[in-house]
Amino acid sequence: MTATAAPGTEESIFELSGLEPGAPQGHRAHLIGWRRRALVAMALIACLGLFGLTRWLALTPHLNAHWTTNGQGRLELQSSPLPSLQALQGRTLLAITDAQGRQLPVDVLLLHRSPRWQVDDAARSRQVLQQEALAERLASGSVDLWFETGQMATVPAQPRGFAGLGWMLWPLAGLALLLVLFAAVVMLARPHARNLLFAVMALCQAGNLLFIAMESTRGLGLPVGASSLDLQMRLALDAFTGAAMVHAFALHPFRLPRARVIAGLTWAGVAAFLLLMQLGVLTPVWWWAQGLCVALGGVALLVIRRSLQAEANPYAVVMQRLGLVTLATLVLVTVAVAASARMPVVAHGVAVGASVTWYLFLASLLLLTPFLARSRQVLREFALLAGVSTVAASVDLLFVAVFSLNAFTSLAVAVFVALALYAGVRQFVLQQVLGRNMLTTERTFELLYRAARDVQVRPRRYPQRLGQLLRDLFEPLDLVRVSRVPSRTRVLGGGSALVVPVRGPEEGQAPAAALLLRFAKGGQRLFTHDDARLADRVVQQLRRAVAYDQAVERGRHEERQRLAQDLHDDIGARLLTLMYQAQSTEMEDYIRHTLQDLKTLTRGLAAAEHRLSHAAAEWKADLTQRLTAAQATLGWSFSCDEDLRLSVVQWSALTRVLRELVSNSLYHGHASRVDVVLQIIGPGLHLTVADDGQGRNPTAWAHGLGLGGVRKRVKALGGTVAWRENQPRGIVCEVQSEAFNVTS
Amino acid sequence: MAVKVLILEDNPVARSFLCRVVRESFSDAIVLTEAGDLETARRHISLTGGSQGLHGADPFKLILVDLELPDGNGMELLAELTHYPATKIVTTLYSDDDHLFPALQCGADGYLLKEDRFEVLVEELQKIVRGQPPLSPAIARRLLTHFRPGGDSLAPDSGFSPPAFTTSKPVPMEKQPDHERLTPRETEVLTYLSKGFTIKEIASLMGIKWFTVNDHIKSIYKKLNVSSRAEAAVLASKQGLV
Repeated sequence: MTATAAPGTEESIFELSGLEPGAPQGHRAHLIGWRRRALVAMALIACLGLFGLTRWLALTPHLNAHWTTNGQGRLELQSSPLPSLQALQGRTLLAITDAQGRQLPVDVLLLHRSPRWQVDDAARSRQVLQQEALAERLASGSVDLWFETGQMATVPAQPRGFAGLGWMLWPLAGLALLLVLFAAVVMLARPHARNLLFAVMALCQAGNLLFIAMESTRGLGLPVGASSLDLQMRLALDAFTGAAMVHAFALHPFRLPRARVIAGLTWAGVAAFLLLMQLGVLTPVWWWAQGLCVALGGVALLVIRRSLQAEANPYAVVMQRLGLVTLATLVLVTVAVAASARMPVVAHGVAVGASVTWYLFLASLLLLTPFLARSRQVLREFALLAGVSTVAASVDLLFVAVFSLNAFTSLAVAVFVALALYAGVRQFVLQQVLGRNMLTTERTFELLYRAARDVQVRPRRYPQRLGQLLRDLFEPLDLVRVSRVPSRTRVLGGGSALVVPVRGPEEGQAPAAALLLRFAKGGQRLFTHDDARLADRVVQQLRRAVAYDQAVERGRHEERQRLAQDLHDDIGARLLTLMYQAQSTEMEDYIRHTLQDLKTLTRGLAAAEHRLSHAAAEWKADLTQRLTAAQATLGWSFSCDEDLRLSVVQWSALTRVLRELVSNSLYHGHASRVDVVLQIIGPGLHLTVADDGQGRNPTAWAHGLGLGGVRKRVKALGGTVAWRENQPRGIVCEVQSEAFNVTS
Repeated sequence: MAVKVLILEDNPVARSFLCRVVRESFSDAIVLTEAGDLETARRHISLTGGSQGLHGADPFKLILVDLELPDGNGMELLAELTHYPATKIVTTLYSDDDHLFPALQCGADGYLLKEDRFEVLVEELQKIVRGQPPLSPAIARRLLTHFRPGGDSLAPDSGFSPPAFTTSKPVPMEKQPDHERLTPRETEVLTYLSKGFTIKEIASLMGIKWFTVNDHIKSIYKKLNVSSRAEAAVLASKQGLV
């Protein structure tokens, strides 16, 4: 069923989604240069910024030594190239001198990273205190270390240098840079509220990644302020991400009626929470922080669910599923970290591992989401990434937390388990996240074949058949004809719509209309570029079928015309000569009759079809002329309910039957009046030829060639013919057929 | 003064038949010139002053042109003779409009069907010369489409109609001049003819005299001549021939 779309919706559907970067409309071509320059500028700034950051980190003073943790939760010096520490290898570090010169006891917390993921409040504040003290001391140039045996070593602070930054920093920093660039591209492609929110999310996560990168440096010695700011900043980043996600889901793909209210409430709530956190009202801090993130995730899911209820949109469906997976991962991570907090030995490792996994997962989600519609391959692998990483992370943490395995061992086991699950559950996961894969090759072929056959038989049904085929293949929520025609099939709205240009069957015809399909599979699936290519091929195949059929028909038509022409010219001319030389009037009439029959046949061959109304007009004129020439009158009555297209058989049969019957009345019956009644109603034909001539007793007639021909023709029309006597004089011939017009 | 008639027909039997028809039709003294092919005909015509009608000599008054000729189509001759002051009649075995209509467009004043009887041919010839040319329903249909604003289209009974997609037909920007358009009465006459009504029936249906109907038909023929020539002129000027 087709309907015309309201102009507003047509326009909005036709616009590209802002989340497809780098694809602005044609009429903004003059702005592309500006954007490109801006993008290059931003990229340069980002790279410079990154370089600056790493350089700053490299200049940070640190203790050039390797430490391990011993059983009592204290640090042991493992090795060091510094001369002052050579003798103290293997000793436990007890305290350091802080900025004010006091002794500050230190323990393993000095090595821990990321106060944000420290569950215990007291431990966190101690950690921050110790790390800040060390940082300040290092900034002043040297630090005093007190070891267990009462020895003290004054160690100079050396800058890290790029070598001391650790290998984890570069990939993390690179990922953060990628996110920043991505945010810039998205913002430049279409400055829009949705894209702004997406950019906010990307930038926040980039910030998180940078923090992790910064803290991934080994050994002791972080920049001043890194620890103390860690919790606040990262919590803020996480909260902003969550709020932006809620806001974005309220706007896209379907703008909820109370979007502003929802967004406003969310942002206000987040701001209030951060304020309270700053004031120290909310304890225990970590639980509240995680609670906020989970709550924001839950609210986002509710919003997208509401959006789905308002309008079935495959984009929303996929977002909902991914959102569920993400939220589940977050909850799992929280539970794992909380569970491991009981065991101080492994707590830190689990916390770091979990948090890094979680942020990497989130970053990859952000990077890949806009490309959902690009290719089904990406979507499939992404779905797997989501599933497998969730499982791997949880299994890893489980093993570490519950079975107290070594981090390495547990990681190895987790990867093994994940791979096993990947192989086993792949199909299941794909179906669950992507929706049932309804387009098998076999089914596509079957649909296309049937459509092509149908179009070959009835080429006029090409547009309807194409629409139906597209509907069968993609099961869209609706199918609408639009007047703005692209040159090729295109995926719009990030996969929510597909616009297919519809070309006529002839080659070289410009497409006159386009079909817009919205929401594949009743709103459950996104259109991908594979679908666009499939649609292009389908249209091409149908056109070929029609063109082939037309070419065959043309060939046949030309051949028939040649045949008709040859017959007519040669045989007709000879019959004409014979007619002129006829010895008697009967002979002349007979040959004339033959000649006219030949003309009927060749004309039937040459012309493709005959309209009933035209044929009836010609019959009437023809009969009038003949009867007038024979000084008789014609009574003509013709009625039909539909102006049929007569086939060659029907037209030539009727013409010759009429001619034969009237000839009979004229020359054998010597009639002075002939009444012809022709009715073609529905599938039936009824013809009556009545005259007032001398014919009597038709049952006793010996049918010659002429009347025998009439019976043959009538049989070809699927009917019967009968002669009876007319009152008071003459003969009536009745032809009846109930199967005359049987529409195929 | 004898009336000069030219009969162009390649079949000798048919030619002598047509000669008999012509002699029977007119009471005047007839001088018959027979030609078996286009070249001979052209020679005869140039003897009477050429096709442009510079006729110092005595021109033909009536020319019968067969369409099916061995060295070409009779329409070529018709096209050359557009300014020749004679009644030009086409004779042909074909009675369908695909063959007759182009001949009428080339300037024929009427047509005769070779299959008709002697008496019918005589009567038809007399009528054409009197100015009452015949018009079969098929030709009437073609004329209607020809004169419809928007120009000529394919004959309705030939081949596939264009697919459902094409945009609407281009409409001419300029209105056609009056001598190329039919008056409403003429269109009415044509419509009745295309449905198969005889001239008598049309006269009684429209409430006019029999002669008036014939006048309309004559005027339609003339307009067909003019419009066809005008089209040809436009085409020629477009192609830079004029």
